[in-house]
Amino acid sequence: MSVARRTTAGASGRRLLLITALAVAVGIGWSALAALGPSAIYYLTPTEAKAKQIAPGTTARLGGQVEVGTLRYDETTRDLRFILADGVTRTLVIGRGAPPALLREGAGAVVEGVFATDGSFRASSVIAKHDEVYAPPSPSQTPPHRTP
Amino acid sequence: MITTAFPRTIPMRIRPALAPASVVAALVATAMALVWAPTDAVQGDVQRVMYVHVPSAWLAYLAFLVVFVASVGWLWSKRPVFDAIAVASAEIGVLFTGLTLIAGSIWAKPTWGVWWTWEPRLLTTAVMFVMYVGYLLLRSLSLDLERRATRSAVAGIVAVVNVPIVHLSVTWMNALHQLPSVLRPGGPALDDRMLATLIVGVVAFTILYAWMLAARVDLERARQDRVLGSLLLKRAAGA
Repeated sequence: MSVARRTTAGASGRRLLLITALAVAVGIGWSALAALGPSAIYYLTPTEAKAKQIAPGTTARLGGQVEVGTLRYDETTRDLRFILADGVTRTLVIGRGAPPALLREGAGAVVEGVFATDGSFRASSVIAKHDEVYAPPSPSQTPPHRTP
Repeated sequence: MITTAFPRTIPMRIRPALAPASVVAALVATAMALVWAPTDAVQGDVQRVMYVHVPSAWLAYLAFLVVFVASVGWLWSKRPVFDAIAVASAEIGVLFTGLTLIAGSIWAKPTWGVWWTWEPRLLTTAVMFVMYVGYLLLRSLSLDLERRATRSAVAGIVAVVNVPIVHLSVTWMNALHQLPSVLRPGGPALDDRMLATLIVGVVAFTILYAWMLAARVDLERARQDRVLGSLLLKRAAGA
């Protein structure tokens, strides 16, 4: 069968293939990193969303910070409200259901949903963002939502 | 002619130690992760998922880099052992990419609030997973050892671009996934005991990888020998 037939196909052909494959890999990698990074849009900031004039009813994803002093959750009506801000624009976010445990005032959040006609954002999903810093609590502090 | 006489990939003296070493390392890492490492101030105990998630991701990177090196080795030298290493490492890499996704999902639900979202890190990792599953499928398209090895070597070289893309995706403008905690400018952003636990976890997973790789390479070498043996028999019968 082919084992003997192709042994003469030779080292040079395979090494050409090797160099081509390496070149393709470098090409794809370089262009992907150069192009994907700046253009990949996971969420819009409230300011970007405002500039884009997203029509009410169109699904969008907003990301920003939960403004300090604005986070309200009513356990009986399951009504969740907070202001999502990016330092320039403030957007009122209204959601339903308990927020994720890590949703904190002053911390990052990403919300998915639609704009209402009054400019507020009706979130169908609220995602809390956390940073890469991990540490045990300081002595006076109890760890939050510790599993029993 | 294909040569099958090539020294085993991992020296025989280390080989028998790999299995017990990975069991011991896994036990030590588990004890450290569950008991010794302190509870995170913000996330609570759920942050301990990190001790599985991060070593799994490391292993996926390592495995796919080895696939790349072995693929280059095959195209350069045509030694069948390189093809055996490539397939062995790709399978382990797919396994641990899957584990990374699962552990990450379990970590994401109580912290972010969702099991999954199309965020850059998650998206690129899913793409990497699917591409290496494709690599394994590509390998089943041919019975011809040489042709299969050459085709998959090209795929194994091109697919490695996923590794830097996945790694750097967290630095893209608007990501949800947190930045690397260990490999970051300014030094690790972890408590010392957390960092030590993570390092032991990475070491334990790496030993496990070496063990799995050695076993799977042996299996593939036996397969190569069998296929070549039956080919030679057929040729002898035909002559």
